[in-house]
Amino acid sequence: MKIFDKRLFRPRSIWIRRVVQVFFFAFIALVSVNHNLAESGGGIPLLSNASLHSLCPFGGVVTIYQYATVGTFVQKIHESAFVLMVIGFVLAILFGPVFCGWVCPLGTVQEWVAKWGKKMFRRRYNHFISPRIDSILRYVRYLVLAWVIYVTATSGKLIFADYDPYFALFNFWSGEVAWQALAILGITLGLTLFVERPWCKYACPYGAVLGISNLFRVFQIRRVESTCKNDGACSIMCPMNIPVDSVNTVRDHQCISCLECTSEAICPVASTVVFSTGGAK
Amino acid sequence: MRLTSKSLAVIILVVLFGGILFSSAMGWWQTESSKEAATFTEGEFAGMPNPADIRGSYTFGDVENNFGVPAETLAKAFGAPPEIDPSAFKAKDLETLYADQEFEIGTASIRLFVALYTRLPYNLAEDVYLPKRAVEMLKSQAKLTNEQIAYLDAHAIAIGSATASNADQTDPEPASESQAEAPAGEETHTEADADERVIKGKTTFKDLLDWGVSQETIEMIIGGPMPNPLMNVKTHCDAQGLYFGDIKVNIQVEIDKVAP
Repeated sequence: MKIFDKRLFRPRSIWIRRVVQVFFFAFIALVSVNHNLAESGGGIPLLSNASLHSLCPFGGVVTIYQYATVGTFVQKIHESAFVLMVIGFVLAILFGPVFCGWVCPLGTVQEWVAKWGKKMFRRRYNHFISPRIDSILRYVRYLVLAWVIYVTATSGKLIFADYDPYFALFNFWSGEVAWQALAILGITLGLTLFVERPWCKYACPYGAVLGISNLFRVFQIRRVESTCKNDGACSIMCPMNIPVDSVNTVRDHQCISCLECTSEAICPVASTVVFSTGGAK
Repeated sequence: MRLTSKSLAVIILVVLFGGILFSSAMGWWQTESSKEAATFTEGEFAGMPNPADIRGSYTFGDVENNFGVPAETLAKAFGAPPEIDPSAFKAKDLETLYADQEFEIGTASIRLFVALYTRLPYNLAEDVYLPKRAVEMLKSQAKLTNEQIAYLDAHAIAIGSATASNADQTDPEPASESQAEAPAGEETHTEADADERVIKGKTTFKDLLDWGVSQETIEMIIGGPMPNPLMNVKTHCDAQGLYFGDIKVNIQVEIDKVAP
């Protein structure tokens, strides 16, 4: 419903994104449980029992070097990871890192924990770190990416699995998880009470790869300056602390395309913050 | 062109699952390693699956699919726990199951059993041990030469009742005579050794270098220049037409020489 181009009864978040996130979280959790059941001869019929490594698009990224030089995959990585990597890249080129904002179950869990943090700290939540330090820390994930690619390329093994909180999240009961990964998962969830998506912002190597797509993706978050009321709602809502209200097109390498800043969600003025191609009016 | 959140949700699901369906249709969607054993390339058995290619990740079901030896037969012979589906029991799980045995019962034991059961050739370059139950089954179900029977008798291990209920629980003696006759001073591999310094199908040349085996030694054994260190030794052998079983034994000797 619109009155003088201002909508009433608008939702304050993208509900369909929540549905998609819950779907992928449940899907990956079930597949992971099924994989462990299958190892002991059981399993859920009609559901994939693939290993988590084979369903991780980042596995495809880290095996590129070995595939190019030796023609084989890194241990535990299979063709499916390569396929998912390509799909992830296609989505990123078109829509940005939607894998992070819509699909990744670790991001979803961080958003769930963040709700407690928001209740505890209200407006202070997600603003504990000074912007200067925060802006520097945002590039740490590229160092993590470089380290992961280097150690995988030189060892031919999935070393990162021992530090991966995503793997730990869905296998903590299996005995296959290294203590480092469990510790990093615990630290991540603990930090999430103060900072939204800390793993995504500061450490995720796959987010670092996909984040580059923000510089050239086809569909982008755009702010229509002529109708913007400059109330800053879009920037306050952004889980990645991007100052959406100060730019016309969001090209920040940390955007996860969650659409929470758009006029479909927090922006009170219709058609002012939109998800569109460059030629859209 | 503008997109709404609902459109984006549909596109994400369609691209993701559509991409998986498409790759499946094209045969690109593989979530695990191929469990198809390499075949003999020449001689009387050309085209037949090679027992030497059975890997630790093979389940008894995979062995059945490749060699026709029923998974139940393997489970009975090797005393797999009855609560586990025989077709899902992995060859490498034997190492854990029999971790307390003096001599290793593992993937090599499966290879030997399958080779004798199916009468396929298998180059026995190292001592391989079998549970006594497996030996008895081979004697009763496979056509063995006197030499093979003598070897099996000398390499049969009586399994204690604590190991597995499917195993030979009727055998009262703690160990067969064969154990006493085994070469004195022969090293047995502990579980840690098995994890760290035993050449397997997935061992890379880099692993060998990391363990202290020199590149010169490796190149001498494989008879040529060492490829990219990240390549599996087995993959290189397969590509070069080398018999991995022989290479493996020679390299293992060198690994043991430089072991700390």
